Amino acid sequence: MNLAWTQDPNLLAAALSAFTPFASFALIMLFTRSHARLSAGISIAAVGISLASAVFLLVRNWSLPAPIQITGRWLISGDIHIPIGFLLDPLSLLMLTIVATISCLVQVYSLAYMAGDPGFSRYYAFQSLFAWAMLTLSISPTMIQLYIFWELVGLASYLLIGFWYEKFSASEAGKKAFVMTRLGDIAFFLGLLLVLLHFGNLNILDMNGPQATERLSPVLLTVSALLIFGGVMGKSAQFPLLTWLPDAMEGPTPVSALLHSATMVAAGVYMFARIFPFFSHSGNAMTVCLSIGTITMLLSSTMAMVTRDIKQVWAYSTISQLGFMVMGLAAGGYAAGVFHLTTHAGFKALLFLCSGVFIHHYETNDMFVIGRHGGRGLLIPMICMTLASAALSGLPPLSGFFSKEAIMGVLAGQRNPIWLAAGLMGAFLTAYYSFRLIFIILRPNLSEKVRAETHGGHGKGHHAAGLYWVMAWPLIILAAVTLVLGFFQGPLEVFLSGSQTVSESHGTGHHAWLPIAAVGLALAGTGLAWLEFGRNGAAQVGFVERLPALRALFANRWYLDHLYRRLLDYVIYGTISNLFTRNDRRVIDGAIDGMCRATIGSGRLLSFVQSGMLQYNLMVMFAALALVALGFYFLG
Amino acid sequence: MTPLQNLFDPQLLAQAAFAVVVIFTFTGALIAVLPRNILYNVLGLILCLTGVGGIFLFLGSAFIALMELLIYVGAICISIVFAIMLSRPLHLSLPKRHLPKVWGAFGVALLVFGVLVTIISRTPWQPAPVRSSDWSVTTLGAYLLTRYDLVFEVMSIVLLVAILGAILISGTSGRRSS
Amino acid sequence: MNSLTTYLFIAAALFIIGVFGLLQRRSLIGMLIAIELMLNGASVNFMAFNRFLAPDPIIGQVYTLFIMGFAAAETAIALSIIIAVFRRIHSINIEQARDLRG
Repeated sequence: MNLAWTQDPNLLAAALSAFTPFASFALIMLFTRSHARLSAGISIAAVGISLASAVFLLVRNWSLPAPIQITGRWLISGDIHIPIGFLLDPLSLLMLTIVATISCLVQVYSLAYMAGDPGFSRYYAFQSLFAWAMLTLSISPTMIQLYIFWELVGLASYLLIGFWYEKFSASEAGKKAFVMTRLGDIAFFLGLLLVLLHFGNLNILDMNGPQATERLSPVLLTVSALLIFGGVMGKSAQFPLLTWLPDAMEGPTPVSALLHSATMVAAGVYMFARIFPFFSHSGNAMTVCLSIGTITMLLSSTMAMVTRDIKQVWAYSTISQLGFMVMGLAAGGYAAGVFHLTTHAGFKALLFLCSGVFIHHYETNDMFVIGRHGGRGLLIPMICMTLASAALSGLPPLSGFFSKEAIMGVLAGQRNPIWLAAGLMGAFLTAYYSFRLIFIILRPNLSEKVRAETHGGHGKGHHAAGLYWVMAWPLIILAAVTLVLGFFQGPLEVFLSGSQTVSESHGTGHHAWLPIAAVGLALAGTGLAWLEFGRNGAAQVGFVERLPALRALFANRWYLDHLYRRLLDYVIYGTISNLFTRNDRRVIDGAIDGMCRATIGSGRLLSFVQSGMLQYNLMVMFAALALVALGFYFLG
Repeated sequence: MTPLQNLFDPQLLAQAAFAVVVIFTFTGALIAVLPRNILYNVLGLILCLTGVGGIFLFLGSAFIALMELLIYVGAICISIVFAIMLSRPLHLSLPKRHLPKVWGAFGVALLVFGVLVTIISRTPWQPAPVRSSDWSVTTLGAYLLTRYDLVFEVMSIVLLVAILGAILISGTSGRRSS
Repeated sequence: MNSLTTYLFIAAALFIIGVFGLLQRRSLIGMLIAIELMLNGASVNFMAFNRFLAPDPIIGQVYTLFIMGFAAAETAIALSIIIAVFRRIHSINIEQARDLRG
């Protein structure tokens, strides 16, 4: 095993892919903090190596008969063996490639976006940290290793969201993200412990195998599945732990593109897909996951309809699409869910990167202001964003159309039509809010140009041409991917099901009207958006915004944040921490103060003996003397 | 014998005299501690010490009885009288008795008495097997200068140091406080 | 009159009258008087042992002389201390001398 690792190309590639970003992180943090360009170079080189290794692994192991697991001894306690190593099977290789590709593109993009920032090296160090954590998470063979790197990914997210830490809202957002995902992770860990106790180990292949039903009772399966799903709820921002993701937009836009659209939040969905056979043993758990996914999808779509911030729209959209992926997986569509994860990574990263170009250029997040200042003048971002929005809405022949159809097909296969109805409604809303944004930027309300001119700072038109193309090429690459990825659905499904013995529900083909209905709804949403925002003389007020109560509801995120604030204040601060504070002050401090007071008090009490009165002392002396004499007489 | 002779029986006379002496002693002792007027106390002490001298007489040593009268009554009590005269406590108001203290003192005294009585009555007192009967003053003097010479010398030195110390304390403290 | 225990009881009674006086009197001179009583009780004790138990009758007498000499010395010193204390606290009430109060 010692020398063999250099000779096994799979292992070598996996190790390179996983560890070079860590080496880059260590190098940058320790040595090259002051050299910005060098740090960026190291980081991009590392992630480039990772990408090359990932692609190599993917191509080499395209038709794999069985998953390759390479592990070494790590934790051994009695009967429990938890190894450390890599698991190479279609799903993990696919995820590895997605993460490596998008990390590489985002890091190249960041060269231009973060240029001139004083924390440039620190940024690239954290990007490398994230890349290491996410890549190793993808190829973890055991749930414990996955959990460890899950937490590391959360750490990288915290560091990157609060990157501009002098800004109070940014550091608050980082804290909120970390704490909220932590809440989900508690449930996740409890679920893992439950499985470990009853199942014996946390090996993913074992958990996916037939032994799970043998060793765990149905109740136990459901409970542990639901607890583990708590982790998905936290990390992938499902209801009710979804309010951290919009706030996470405080971080730099490339970070939002990488972490909070394509990869980190997808880790939850990835984990779901990873132990999909384990989850699918419990129908009740799957139903609960399905409903949570549906609620998430619809709720966040409504929130996206009223916001003015360009990044918030895509944040809510991410939450919604993650809900949609969870719906697909929970309904039994393994390949459909994973395919949508792949395509979503592509076009959502593209959307964020395009928005980043606008934000960088106009130094504002407000879509109305960007529109008024002539945002449509930036051609490449505008075209790419329109393309990506169309993909998001599910318009053919883009990749989004194929992946959304796959999930709709799975939903149609469910007995209860409510899920499909929700999915179609979600498609309508998605098209509406994405094209709302497009039309606001494309066709600004020029009657407000007077107000626009009183704003200072028309934007940075002095971009160096080189920097602009550094930002533009990742956009072009991702747009190309979005265009063609849809046609790879077939090969990908074959690839994914290569070594899976999972029972999927294939809904496609049974309902021919489904694609037509979905596309029709998407077009209807687009049309409504054009009606309200796009055509000449449009009022640019959405139908929801005309109802102030509804608008307030959606804008305040369905008052979820208020609910959390109340919960914190009353339940946690009011009762639990109040209890502990009182205990600390009255019981613990009180005990110690009481001891002090007792000491002083008893001292005061006893000090009356020292009255200074000679005769009292003499009395005691004589009495003691007499008694001692008596004692000696009788005992001596 | 005639009843008058019976009355003047030496043994009876001796017992009566002993009783008188003991009564003097205890009366004097009680006068020395109970009244609050200090002159009464001193006079009671004089009475008591005279009685103790009488007891010493009964205990066989006339010399010691006379010494008692000389030293205690003649010197010590007189110096106490002088101290009373010099410090003039009679002019100060007599403080009221603090009853708990009195009862405490009484209790402790009773306790000590009880212990002493217990020990005295329970011990089998054994006289020494060989007892000399030489009670003369000559022998006492000879012993004081030969065998118990140290006592004699130490007493002298102690008295010297005491006088010097008394002069020093009352002399310098007077200068300091004025 | 002719038994040891009589004289021992007398001595004990003198001693405890002295103890009572010592513990109860407020005036310093009163306490001194009580101390003299105590010393005399001890002397009577020694003389009683001397008369009834001792092999040599000289020893008790020497001891009693010793006690008397010391009593004299002690009285001298005690009186001068009383005068010094009086000059300080302007009273011979022992309850006034409470500087060592805790």
